[in-house]
Amino acid sequence: MSAPAIRVEGFIKRYGKRVAADGLALTVQRGEIYGLVGADGAGKSSLMKAVAGVLAHDGGTVEIFGAVIDSERSAEQVKQRIGFLPQGLGLNLYPDLSIEENVDFFGRLRGVPSSELAARKDMLLGMTRLDAFRARPMRQLSGGMKQKLGLVCTLIHEPELVILDEPTTGVDPVSRRDFWAILGKLLEEKGITALVSTAYLDEADRFHRVSLFHEGKVMGEGTPAELIARVPGTLALFRAEPQADALPRLKAQFPQTEAMGAWLRVFAEGLDATQAQAAVDTCLTTSASASTAIQVTEWFAREPELEDVFVAMLRQRGARLDTSLPADAPTAAPTSTLAIEATGLTRVFGDFRAADAVNFAVPQGEIFGLLGANGAGKTTVIKMLTGILKPSSGSGRVAGADMRSAGLAIKERIGYMSQAFSLYHDLSVVENIRLYAGIYGLDDRRARQRGDWVIGMAGLAGFENDAAGRLPMGLRQRLALGCALVHEPRVLFLDEPTSGVDPIGRRMFWDILFHLSRREGVAILVTTHYMSEAEHCDHLALMFAGRVVADASPETMKQELIASAGQLLELRVDRPVPAQNALRDAGFANVALHGRAVHLLSHDADTDRERLPALLDKAGIAVQSVGLRPLSMEDVFVQRITALEDAGRRSP
Amino acid sequence: MNGQRIVALAWKEWREIIRDRLFFALAFVVPAMLMLLFGFGLTLDVENLPFAVVDYDKTAASRDYAYRFISSRYFAFQGYAADEHDVDALLADNKVRMVLVIPPRFDERLGRGEPAPVQVLIDGTFPERTQTSMGYVAAINSAVSLDNMAHALSSARGIPLAEARQRVQPVKLEVRYLYNQSVKSIWSLAPKLIMLIMMLSPPFLTAVGVVREKESGSIFNIYSSTVSPGEFLLGKLAPYVAISIANAMFLWLLATWLFGAPFKGDPLFFAFATVLYVICTTGIGLVISMLVQTQVAAMIVASIVSIIPAVLYSGVLLPLPSLSPAASMLAHALPPMYYTNIVVGCFLKAVSWHALWLEVLVLAAYAVGLFGLGYLLFTKRPKS
Repeated sequence: MSAPAIRVEGFIKRYGKRVAADGLALTVQRGEIYGLVGADGAGKSSLMKAVAGVLAHDGGTVEIFGAVIDSERSAEQVKQRIGFLPQGLGLNLYPDLSIEENVDFFGRLRGVPSSELAARKDMLLGMTRLDAFRARPMRQLSGGMKQKLGLVCTLIHEPELVILDEPTTGVDPVSRRDFWAILGKLLEEKGITALVSTAYLDEADRFHRVSLFHEGKVMGEGTPAELIARVPGTLALFRAEPQADALPRLKAQFPQTEAMGAWLRVFAEGLDATQAQAAVDTCLTTSASASTAIQVTEWFAREPELEDVFVAMLRQRGARLDTSLPADAPTAAPTSTLAIEATGLTRVFGDFRAADAVNFAVPQGEIFGLLGANGAGKTTVIKMLTGILKPSSGSGRVAGADMRSAGLAIKERIGYMSQAFSLYHDLSVVENIRLYAGIYGLDDRRARQRGDWVIGMAGLAGFENDAAGRLPMGLRQRLALGCALVHEPRVLFLDEPTSGVDPIGRRMFWDILFHLSRREGVAILVTTHYMSEAEHCDHLALMFAGRVVADASPETMKQELIASAGQLLELRVDRPVPAQNALRDAGFANVALHGRAVHLLSHDADTDRERLPALLDKAGIAVQSVGLRPLSMEDVFVQRITALEDAGRRSP
Repeated sequence: MNGQRIVALAWKEWREIIRDRLFFALAFVVPAMLMLLFGFGLTLDVENLPFAVVDYDKTAASRDYAYRFISSRYFAFQGYAADEHDVDALLADNKVRMVLVIPPRFDERLGRGEPAPVQVLIDGTFPERTQTSMGYVAAINSAVSLDNMAHALSSARGIPLAEARQRVQPVKLEVRYLYNQSVKSIWSLAPKLIMLIMMLSPPFLTAVGVVREKESGSIFNIYSSTVSPGEFLLGKLAPYVAISIANAMFLWLLATWLFGAPFKGDPLFFAFATVLYVICTTGIGLVISMLVQTQVAAMIVASIVSIIPAVLYSGVLLPLPSLSPAASMLAHALPPMYYTNIVVGCFLKAVSWHALWLEVLVLAAYAVGLFGLGYLLFTKRPKS
């Protein structure tokens, strides 16, 4: 039996005083696609760099193909067998070189003979569909193309082990799916082992096995299914009105309760479906007075997702989900006042229509999500609505005023939090809050009052005098949110607010947003490319090439997809890649590889569940299970955008 | 050593430099521009100093006296002013730098053999220039006085004017300027500018070129491959050395053709020493790039580390013997001084190996030392 591809034991890495990795251990067998899943700063990158031999570690052992890596010399010995793609989309590529020149450089650097280089280059560029753009400089490529070029350059010397550090971060869902498909195919064909990290928990099912990372430690290791089975329980999705009153009651009994648009999502740990329904019913109907009993209207129960399990594991280790928001604050009276109204909003840069007749409306108290790939026009729309950019035509009304002519006064009714969190890293928490209070012209008394509110809301007590730059990501994000809220705006704009934050932090963040919208009636506009976040929104607008191409609630969008493309079936099989091919041959258009499982969309799910095992059996593939899975917003996004792209290609 | 990898690295680097507009300008335009700006701007000669005359006497003698200044190439006559009040404004606006005030009865006093005072107002804001122009004024004035005396002597004694002149000034100076016959400061400045610019440009280019790979993360391509540190440094730095050699040649052309500096030395020796110097300054950039993590830091450190020695401790502005002992020691510890000796020797003095072998040896030691240090500091498995 040959040595495993990677064996790590007691791995420790420190940067100065900060401990980035604290006793990590994992083993990756040859031929596996192994995932490291966790937030920014969880220790994934440090481990991957050490495994690639480009970072010296402080303790523990790292073995690659049985060889111990403990010095520059020993690292050199295995480097020819490894391909490493560092973090950051396209950052390790050379922007002034063309696609072909980049690949050639990596090939020559890795000592690939010229005779072989041409053939491999043709094969890899063909598979990634980059061959039509060989002469295009790298700096002009889209995010998805940069990501694929990075993969090609990493694979050009045919390594036995590839280490890919967050290859899908910052890429839109369509390109991400494409990337996984290509990677799965290449690895399968060449028998390559892969160590891949991701900050998206919903990508975990792309791997054979995963390690869940949190703050420098591994929380659990195994196949995604094994990990999910580790914390038994039921995931319940239901409606209960009034939602804002139901939420705190449920939270008291089920800490992992979230509002998802008009729905409530509860992870009932340790309960099966029937027990969970009974427990939720009891919780909502039993109350001090009968008049406040809340009825569950619609009910779905299913297997929890990895994120639910991850959060449960973190809770078992003492993580807390509660914020200090008052649960009994009065609910804002529902109004039909429009907080944001975009009418034919258009912005033209030269020949390029960055935003093209964008229409949507957000009532006071709603969480509205603006989705779209990079360059779809989301940021342009936000800039026009916040008065940073003048529209070429059309109008944007925010909090009742036309942004084109609105003066400074209107800006005091708007809060804005940008992607980069726009904090001053060298100022302390309190200084940052005071600075924003000063910018918005709050008087001393109010500034102090609001400062206390921000610190309580964000859970920053005890961190008041820490520099903002040294806070953990989750706290930093909530501080930025607090700064955007310091002047009590009626409308809040959030531009990609949650990238890189751990699941606990993300949940607390959305709890706060829910509280703001339901109890204080704040209208919130969020842009995101995290599709799991889109599910939290009451309403979504999907942008493509500057236009809004869909405008509905998440639920409606999913229903529309089921009507047009069918339901999602998951097949667990012994050999996923041949299974994928066989299913394609059988006429299924949307077949995707997810680790050891295959996903497809079926118009007639019941019949297909019956007939597919036999169909695959003929191709010599054993089916372990077939089941229905709920559609995700990512499925919706990918289907919609792919259809639009195809249409665009047919009629240029 | 694997030739293919070195060529691949060098070729990649070269294409990045010529395609990145900012970097291209930094590599090829900035050195020539510095040469032109410094060459035309940093002249220490005082010529065509603007001046005005206030003549209260208005006689032939006063006009004759003023004319001595007007006809001098060191002064540029701006016109007569009516009185001193007009002159204040002209001086304040920098329209004139010097004013000659000839009082009434100038001619009369001269005729009587009485002392005839003339007032000179000089702008003292630039001490160097003031002293030089004061020297010119004194020289012209004493020439006028001697002339007057000679005329008086000749008419009194009835001897020829030439003989009278000789009697008035019996000791006659015979000055011969060596190496720089017309004492043009540009002759000596232009060669030193090659030293100055070649001290600034290569460290800057090299440090930024290496550090930007660290900053972007593309350095991980090097770390994670089997390229050896020696191969990387050779391939990465060869284009920078080549560009700097080309720049040095171009600066040499500018110095000789545009600024007319004479080149009297051995071209082969000069070329050899220049290549050595360029390698040496590239090595400074290499060491900086190993010690900093960001391009901004690289630029700041490179500027400080190169500008100070090149300007203050090289002999370009101040002659080395006039430095304090500590400063002189510092100058001897840094490479620019040695190359200054080489350029001055090659351009103006026509000396070669026999006089400059020690300088060449020091530069060679520097080049080896800096590259050795860079090699030792480079690690493919860093701590962070």
